[in-house]
Amino acid sequence: MPVLTIDDTKVEVPEGTTLLQACRQAGAKVPSLCYLEDVQTIGACRVCMVEVEGARTLIASCAAPATDGLVVKTNSPKARKGRQTVVELLLSEHDGNCQTCSRSADCELRALAEDLGIDEIGFEGEKTKKVIDDSTPALVRDSGKCIMCRRCVTVCNDTQGVGGLFPQGRGFTTVIGPAFASDLSEVVCVQCGQCAAVCPVGAITEKDAIEDVWAALDDPSKHVVVQTAPAIRAALGEGFDYEPGTLVTGKMVAALRRLGFDGVFDTNFAADLTIMEEGTELLTRLKKALVDGEEVALPMFTSCSPGWINYMEHYNPDFLPNLSTCKSPQQMFGTLAKTFYAEKLGLKAEDIYVVSVMPCTAKKFECQRPEMSDSGVQDVDVVLTTRELVRMIKQAGIDFRGLPDDAMDRPLGMSTGAADIFANTGGVMEAALRTAYEIVTGKPFPFEDLHVAPIAGLEGVKEASVTIDETVPAWSFLKGATLKVAVAHTLSNAQKVIDRIRSGEAEYHFVEVMTCPGGCIGGGGQPRLTGDAVRKARIAAIYAEDEGRELRKSHENPDVQQLYKEWLGEPLGERSHHLLHTAYTPKERV
Amino acid sequence: MEQVRSHVLVCTGGGCIASGALAVSAAFTQELESHGLADEVNVVETGCLGPCAVGPVALVYPDGVFYQNIQAADVGEIVEEHLLKGRVVPRLISTAPGTEKSVAEMRDVEFFNRQVKIALRNSGLIDPLKIEEYVARDGYLALAKALTEMTPEQVVEEMLASGLRGRGGAGFPTGMKWKFAQQQSSDVKYMLCNADEGDPGAFMDRSVLEGDPHSIIEGMTIGAYAIGAHTGYVYVRAEYPLAVERLQYAIDQARDLGLLGDDIMGSGFSFDLEIRMGSGAFVCGEETALMTSIEGHRGEPRPRPPFPAVKGLWDKPSVLNNVETLATVAPIILHGATWFAATGSEKSKGTKVFALGGAIKHAGLVEVPIGMQLGEIVNDIGGGVPGEGKQLKAVQLGGPSGGCVPSWHLDVPVDYESLQELGAIMGSGGLVIMDEDTCMVDIARFFLEFTQEESCGKCPPCRVGTKRMLEIVDRICDGEGEEGDIERLISLGEQISATALCGLGQTAPNPVLSTIRHFRHEYEAHIRDKHCEAGVCATMYEARCTNACPADVDVPGFVSLVGEKRFDEALKLHRERNPLASICGRVCFHPCESKCQRAGLDGAVAIRGVKRFMTEQETAAQLPSVLVNDENAARKVAVVGAGPSGLSCAYFLARLGYKPTILESEKSAGGMLVQAIPAYRLPREELGREISMIEQMGVTIETGKKLGSDFTLQSLKDDGCEAVFLGVGAPLGAEIGIPGEDGDGVSEALSFLRQYNVDGQMAVGKKVAVIGGGNSAIDAARTALRLGAEQVTILYRRTRAQMPAWGEEILAAEQERIIIQPLVAPVEIVHDAADKLTGVKVRPMVLGDYDRSGRRRPVAGRNPDFVVECDQVIAAIGQSLDTAAIFAGLEVETTAKGWIKADAKSGGTSVEWVFAGGDAATGPASVVAAIGAGERAAVAIDAYLSGANHAFWRRAVEVDTFFDPDADPVELERATVPVITADVRVGSFDEVELSWSAEVAVAEAKRCLRCDFGKSCGAEEVNV
Repeated sequence: MPVLTIDDTKVEVPEGTTLLQACRQAGAKVPSLCYLEDVQTIGACRVCMVEVEGARTLIASCAAPATDGLVVKTNSPKARKGRQTVVELLLSEHDGNCQTCSRSADCELRALAEDLGIDEIGFEGEKTKKVIDDSTPALVRDSGKCIMCRRCVTVCNDTQGVGGLFPQGRGFTTVIGPAFASDLSEVVCVQCGQCAAVCPVGAITEKDAIEDVWAALDDPSKHVVVQTAPAIRAALGEGFDYEPGTLVTGKMVAALRRLGFDGVFDTNFAADLTIMEEGTELLTRLKKALVDGEEVALPMFTSCSPGWINYMEHYNPDFLPNLSTCKSPQQMFGTLAKTFYAEKLGLKAEDIYVVSVMPCTAKKFECQRPEMSDSGVQDVDVVLTTRELVRMIKQAGIDFRGLPDDAMDRPLGMSTGAADIFANTGGVMEAALRTAYEIVTGKPFPFEDLHVAPIAGLEGVKEASVTIDETVPAWSFLKGATLKVAVAHTLSNAQKVIDRIRSGEAEYHFVEVMTCPGGCIGGGGQPRLTGDAVRKARIAAIYAEDEGRELRKSHENPDVQQLYKEWLGEPLGERSHHLLHTAYTPKERV
Repeated sequence: MEQVRSHVLVCTGGGCIASGALAVSAAFTQELESHGLADEVNVVETGCLGPCAVGPVALVYPDGVFYQNIQAADVGEIVEEHLLKGRVVPRLISTAPGTEKSVAEMRDVEFFNRQVKIALRNSGLIDPLKIEEYVARDGYLALAKALTEMTPEQVVEEMLASGLRGRGGAGFPTGMKWKFAQQQSSDVKYMLCNADEGDPGAFMDRSVLEGDPHSIIEGMTIGAYAIGAHTGYVYVRAEYPLAVERLQYAIDQARDLGLLGDDIMGSGFSFDLEIRMGSGAFVCGEETALMTSIEGHRGEPRPRPPFPAVKGLWDKPSVLNNVETLATVAPIILHGATWFAATGSEKSKGTKVFALGGAIKHAGLVEVPIGMQLGEIVNDIGGGVPGEGKQLKAVQLGGPSGGCVPSWHLDVPVDYESLQELGAIMGSGGLVIMDEDTCMVDIARFFLEFTQEESCGKCPPCRVGTKRMLEIVDRICDGEGEEGDIERLISLGEQISATALCGLGQTAPNPVLSTIRHFRHEYEAHIRDKHCEAGVCATMYEARCTNACPADVDVPGFVSLVGEKRFDEALKLHRERNPLASICGRVCFHPCESKCQRAGLDGAVAIRGVKRFMTEQETAAQLPSVLVNDENAARKVAVVGAGPSGLSCAYFLARLGYKPTILESEKSAGGMLVQAIPAYRLPREELGREISMIEQMGVTIETGKKLGSDFTLQSLKDDGCEAVFLGVGAPLGAEIGIPGEDGDGVSEALSFLRQYNVDGQMAVGKKVAVIGGGNSAIDAARTALRLGAEQVTILYRRTRAQMPAWGEEILAAEQERIIIQPLVAPVEIVHDAADKLTGVKVRPMVLGDYDRSGRRRPVAGRNPDFVVECDQVIAAIGQSLDTAAIFAGLEVETTAKGWIKADAKSGGTSVEWVFAGGDAATGPASVVAAIGAGERAAVAIDAYLSGANHAFWRRAVEVDTFFDPDADPVELERATVPVITADVRVGSFDEVELSWSAEVAVAEAKRCLRCDFGKSCGAEEVNV
């Protein structure tokens, strides 16, 4: 194991450690900017430079291996001056209108400038050319604020395999953006917002819809309801200085109510409904394949994640039949709100205004898809990300931390623990298995604490198999069958699974895909900055929420059962087929 | 058997192809055919031979005759004369530098005979498309030796022992690089060749690839064997299509013959290589960026460590060597490390290829032993700076990553360490020569702009930092520089070097830092004086001629007025800035003309000739406008010295309403103009006319008043003088410092000239020897001749070309049969027993190393001393000033060289009421420089006395002459000034130059291209 001297202290580190990690291990808080743990170590921004004895120049510690015998100074005048120069240079090209920038509170560049003691920008000159690209429903790019750290490039190309953003041009006119300086809408962008999630400054942000929501709330003719996705409750608190992983469900509900929503509901309700529909769809496909000998597309893929849907339409159109036809929970909720719920209130679909709070920027795109208006009008009117909700609560002057806990309205606010875990990778699969297993076997789900361990955690691709020993008569054809499932998060991992399926290397019945790292808890609309530690904390919170529930299986949700009984009929029945399912279209790759 | 008796090697390197080599080659084939010589004489199209500037070139073997500047039409003559009759065609061969002597054989041509070719051993000698020719010159023998007789470790050891350092720029030892890669345990390793040559002006790699592609293949294969690689890539820029074509052809040939591929030469070792084309990003020459580009990504560098030898292409151990390095590998393996290390310097072995470009006669490609003095490369091989009288300013090495070596460091041995000490680098071998017409700030801007545009944009120091530097340099060049800019550039530059990600960024500030280091004064002049000495930064002046004039005369203004026959107005305009128009019309050495843009067309405008004609049209004295000011008139201001600076200062003071008094030690006013400049150059009536004009303006000239004896600075002050201008010149001659100097018959040039010019008589000997090579030496020699000497010899320790005297003067002296004996240093003045002078014993000199003057230092040669017989010796070896005598106790600061320390812009000295200018402040300079200094001091004195700037003549002046900017200039040769023939003129002191007719003068004036047209800048705010 290499031994280094860092700031006069000997440190022993494991083989393969980077110099930055070693410095931090030695207690030196070496700043960094372009570096993203496990995602990007390209040494581009130079902020993490340290002085290494014998080296001609300062060394970017993030990209340098911690080799034996190095003598490192993290706080030498040369290192301090170098970092300061670099950050001053960045500030000199950056369109730094901090007072009005949505990122000012958590801007990493601004924080760096403060940490490095920069009280004056020593360089004047031309600024980066400012072009605002708001061509997509989900994202806004402001090139004037871009500092070219390339985090977005790496997540878009490597994590997601989408390739929507690149460095282009050279010298001072280098820009990060879609090919040929096009707008984002002109190239393939799945709108996942991971670029916005990793951007250290305000160069890529969600398209802000707060004003639309205020307008609806202020409109007395509208009945405004809100749904919150399962992942919000485990992250919203971070916007109010809670530790990552703090559950704030009750305060969230209270805050939404104070914002003036007429109904505060839960996407979780629709998640339970999704399990009913999707589970049935899977079993039906299996039956068609195994009993009826029909050509059906297997494995079936989950369809909750709109970035994933976009990705499939552009990159794997041949696999579109494999996607579950179920709408995502957000869209199921929207349709129900403007049909079932409207009927209940005696209102017309157009009188109801549905606001979603999502961890996801792609949901902004999803709700605008032409397919998503089965109620006769656009089913979900507007989507706020977690970050926008934080801002809205702050705008309203609500003392979030001082709020009492409050509970969701019914019926659309009732849910089970299975719906909670929709928030993280492996969760949808586990929820589906909990229900499908019990429906098929009539026996309790046999996993400890109801968790399927092999598909939990942050591994990129996870697999599990469940053997069905006994069945209820209706599903007897499954007797002795082994159900093979896979779970992938991030699109590059999903593509790996598809490639293996396509090549015949792997065979599954059911595959869960979530677009974002860690699933929705790591969504593109969540509070920044989401690293694996934050993801793990949020997932732990979600599991705690699930485990704290009395009802933890979707088919046990009484309000869902009631819904089928009084209005929908049965899963995959005619009404649900019409309202809760959709179809996909191959899209061109630019 | 077929017998070929002769070979014609036609260079088909890129340069020669561009100048028509393919047509020349075809013409040879055709002419040989038609003369029935096709079977006897072979035509070979070779790679680059080197002397690109004189292309197309060809070599005829076995004679070894080198032909240059051949056009297809010349080929018939070469075939008929040379190949049929065995006679060299003299008009197509080169001449020895500085002479008219023809040199036929390549081994005698200086461009070639100082070179040692290792990397370029085959370029220009073989047909690059014939592997047989490569093999015939020991090609692939080294590979055979390595594969069959050496272990990979031995190959690496040999490379280490050779001391070869990477020729791509940084100079990392090649053997070391190979060793690191060899030590890595990996099944897959890569051997890579960097042929992404991108420095402006560099074409070394291209020439090797085009001229000797097999040398790269052989070098790479040996390297691959040494490190254990089986795959190689040559990364060539796509802008080199011919290189790609020839290299691909060579790879295919090598593969066909089993020299690439599996089991090479039956050794069991396998290696193959491919070409990868880069699309021309400069940064792709950086090794990690190059690898990233081969991998198929945008060519951007990645941080090191890990180094490519550990983790390179596709994360595998990789060695990247540049083309020249690889071309050197085979000879090292074949002949051994000891052989290679015998060439070069102690720390840097072998040879280096340089691409000579810029302001140099023999632009082209050369290969020289490392450690050769820079001056030898530039002047002896490269032929020095072209253009009449143009001076070398600096040599830029290493392209955008490199730096400048100023002319006073031509003695630097060209090796890695020595260049680095001067802030330059060896680089990949681009060597750009810059003459006095190059602005060093502008050149820094050029390179910085290049790197800024080529920055990949990945790291902020390079992307933003170089932009910020460029913005500052741009500002300076645009005349908007601010105090502190130089410091800002240095500080930011150093930060960029310390923080940028890759070599491109780390070295990008070098051109700026190195020009600041050696040419800080140019930056300061740009920032403080808004002046670009070289006349490049066009926003700072209206015309280059005016910009070059030390007195700021509106040259296009007065010339165009002469062109409209408005002679009085022209003269008046001239005297706005320079009162001594007639004097300058005769003696000015016209820096304006050397910057004339017309020179590029059909010769510079003869500005001095136009000026002289203009002053000849003055019928009555043209007095300038004067501010009448009783208050100023009442103040006492003294000017010491009635030379050009004193006269000018008094003139401008008078224009501001002062009535200054000039105190002159000699009997008559004029200073050096009257004491030193002979009448045949400056008739005394002309001098008198302009002095009298100044007197008419209210200036009093008191002659015979000697500073130090008749009055002192203090006494002037005590008499109520409020300000004093010292224009005392540099009146003392320097001593030679050899035995016999104090004896009979020896005089010093200034005293000699003064005695004749002031007293009207001076005895001369029959045989006169003048020691020195400056203008005084020429003046003394020509005066001695006119005073009756039968033979006058100028003894000069350097060469004729190195004489500091003006070229036209030297020529005139030679026409008058004055003997110039160069390369002799006087060692003793010889007197006979009767103390009568009999000669000068001189030591023959040869040129040694370069010295601080940018010239080769004369050192004693091997030939014995000899005596130049003479009965009089005039020493003209320098001038000085006795400052102690003139200050007489007043503490005025002086310079290290003993001149008065005065601010160049104001003439201000360390004593606030004392101003100085001209030779006394600068050392011997020109008349016009003294005039300019006088003007500036007058303005400064007025500002000192009044607190404001009243120099109304500095305001922009509109000249209403007609000019049609759309009209094309009509070609017309520069008019020459008629002179009295040498035979006639030596008999008297009559003026040598004669007048023009009005037609000639007006036509000459109309040749002016009016570069000033539509421009207006540099005018001052004046409080009048």
